[in-house]
Amino acid sequence: MASDAAGDEPDAGNARGTGSPLVDRWLALDRGWQALALGLGIVAVHAAAQVAGLL
Amino acid sequence: MRVVDAARPYAPGLALLVAGALLSRLLAGAVDGLQPLVVAVALGALVGNTVGTPDAAEPGVGVDKLFLETGIVLLGAAVVVEEFLAAGPTVLGLVVVAVGGGLLLAELIARVLFRLDGTTPSLLAAGASICGVSAVVAIGRVLDARGSAITFAAATVLLFDAVTLVAFPLAGEWLGLTGRQFGVWAGVSMFSTGPVAAAGFAYSPEAGQWATVTKLARNSLLGGVAVAYSLAYTARSATEPGVRRLWAEFPKFLLGFLAVAAIANSGVLSAAALESIGRVSDALFTLAFVGLGLSIRVREMRDVGAAAVGAVLVHLLTVSALALAAVRWLL
Repeated sequence: MASDAAGDEPDAGNARGTGSPLVDRWLALDRGWQALALGLGIVAVHAAAQVAGLL
Repeated sequence: MRVVDAARPYAPGLALLVAGALLSRLLAGAVDGLQPLVVAVALGALVGNTVGTPDAAEPGVGVDKLFLETGIVLLGAAVVVEEFLAAGPTVLGLVVVAVGGGLLLAELIARVLFRLDGTTPSLLAAGASICGVSAVVAIGRVLDARGSAITFAAATVLLFDAVTLVAFPLAGEWLGLTGRQFGVWAGVSMFSTGPVAAAGFAYSPEAGQWATVTKLARNSLLGGVAVAYSLAYTARSATEPGVRRLWAEFPKFLLGFLAVAAIANSGVLSAAALESIGRVSDALFTLAFVGLGLSIRVREMRDVGAAAVGAVLVHLLTVSALALAAVRWLL
C-alpha cells in the first residue's frame, strides 16, 4: 500500500526534527495524507480565487 | 527561516524536475501529436541512463511520488458524473464490461500465458484496462509496488500509447466506422486519456467527443478498482487481517481523489476553476514523470520487456476486437 509503506516513512532528517513544528508535523505525515492535503489545498485556492473574481 | 532551511536540500532536485518538465512542454509544443508526458519520461530516462541523477538532486527528485499522488487527487476534478450518465447505458455497460473483463483477462494472460509474477501483471492490467499511466501509478501506490515495476509498466503502456495513437485512426478509416463507433471503440480499447482524445479528434470532432466521454467513464472506475486491488492483495498477504490493517494500508490520497470528484460535481466550482485545476494536475504529472523517467533503468526493462509487451499486445488485440464487434453491433 502506498500511504504507510516503507517509502513513506519519515527519513532520518525528519526523525531528528527541523526545529519548525509545522515542518516536522508535515514531514511526519505519510505521503498519502500529504497528497490529500496538497490536493484539497489547491482546490481551496481555486475556490478562493473564484470567490475573489479571479477565475 | 526554518522552513527555508528544511526546504533547501530539496531545491536542486526540484529544479531538475522543473527544468525537465519545461523542456518536455517546449518539445511537445513544437512537434504535433507529441505528448508532454511521453517526452517527460523519455527525457528523464535519457538523463538517468546517461549522466545519472546527481547525489545533490536525489532528495528533491524523490518528491516526484508526492507530485504523482497529488496529481491523481486533482484528477478527480476531471470525473464528470453527468458526462458519465450522458454516455448512455449502452456505453456505460461496455465500459464496465471492458474494465472488469479486461482486468481479469490481462491478469490471466500475464500470469498464465507469459509467466509474469509479482505486482507487474496487476500494474499492466490496470494500465491497459483503466487509464494508462495514471492507473499504473495509482494501483502501483496501492500495491506498494517497486519503483522499477511501476516505471516498467508505465513505459510499456507509453509504448502502446504511441503505437495506438497512430494505428487506431488508420484502422477506423479502413473499417469505415462512424464517428460515434470510432470514439467509443477508442475510448474503450486504448490506454491513456491524452492519446484517446487525440486519436478521437484526429478521426472527427464527433469521434473526439465520444472518445473523451467514454474514456472519462473508464477513468471514473479507477477508485473502485484501486479499492478492490487493495482488498485483494491485503487478503492474500495479511497476517492479521482487520479493519485497522485495511485502514493502515489504504492509500489515503484516493480519499482526496473522491473528495475532489465530489466537489467538482457539486457545481460550486466554475468551468474556469476546473480547467485550471486540470492544468495544475497536468503540471504535477509532468514534474512527476520526469522523476519517473529518471528512475527508469533500461537494463531492468530489457530483462522482462518481451513478456510484458507480449502480454499487453495479446490483451489489446483481444479487447479491441471484442469492443469493435460490440460497437458495430450496438451503436
